[in-house]
Amino acid sequence: MRINTSRFGRIDIDAADIISFPSGLPGLEGCREWALLADATNDALGWLQSTTQGDIALAVVSPRRFVPDYQVRIPRSELTPLAIADLRQAQVVVIVGSNGRTLTLNLKAPIVINLEARTGRQVVASGELPMQYELPCATPGLKKSA
Amino acid sequence: MLVLSRQRDESIMIGDNIVVTIVDIRGDKVRLGINAPSEIPVHRQEVYEAIQRENLRAARLEPGDTEGLGRLADRAAAQGPKKPTDGPRR
Repeated sequence: MRINTSRFGRIDIDAADIISFPSGLPGLEGCREWALLADATNDALGWLQSTTQGDIALAVVSPRRFVPDYQVRIPRSELTPLAIADLRQAQVVVIVGSNGRTLTLNLKAPIVINLEARTGRQVVASGELPMQYELPCATPGLKKSA
Repeated sequence: MLVLSRQRDESIMIGDNIVVTIVDIRGDKVRLGINAPSEIPVHRQEVYEAIQRENLRAARLEPGDTEGLGRLADRAAAQGPKKPTDGPRR
């Protein structure tokens, strides 16, 4: 399928590469189907691009790459809908945001993807974890509008 | 808003498959047990709202905003020996 995106122009997505999020994502409930794209220049970065809304995409990274001691514990009930027994069967990524000063990682609510079934879910991890873990890199002038 | 009085160990049903049970009451704190189908996410409201805000903010990020991330990843990779175990990549 071919979609027009605001960030990456027109892209082709293989139907087999679409990841479905049956519960949506909080705040972005309308977007149930996403594709995981590699960033053109940064191999540490991926983009979850909505396949139905071209202007919606989320930057994601593998959290351990930036926070080596990140230990994510997720209640089993959160994993049941993904049909995975434990996290080793899944890919865990966290969403990159910005608090206006630095880039941040949402360590409290990671995204768990069952790569085989191609389903995903944003979960709430147990324990005290920040939703805005500050990375030591500044955000160049973030756009105010969506 | 529908308001119902319940005592400890009593429940209410929402639809035919969600059961909310009063597990414990101590002072001004009530502990609830929630039985719901696994496809229905259950969240503390303030946590859910914070995730909503955070997702909407993150959705404004553009590729150009993430430049610093590359340098940071390179630096982290150079700092062995604690090699992070990344998940499979596309």
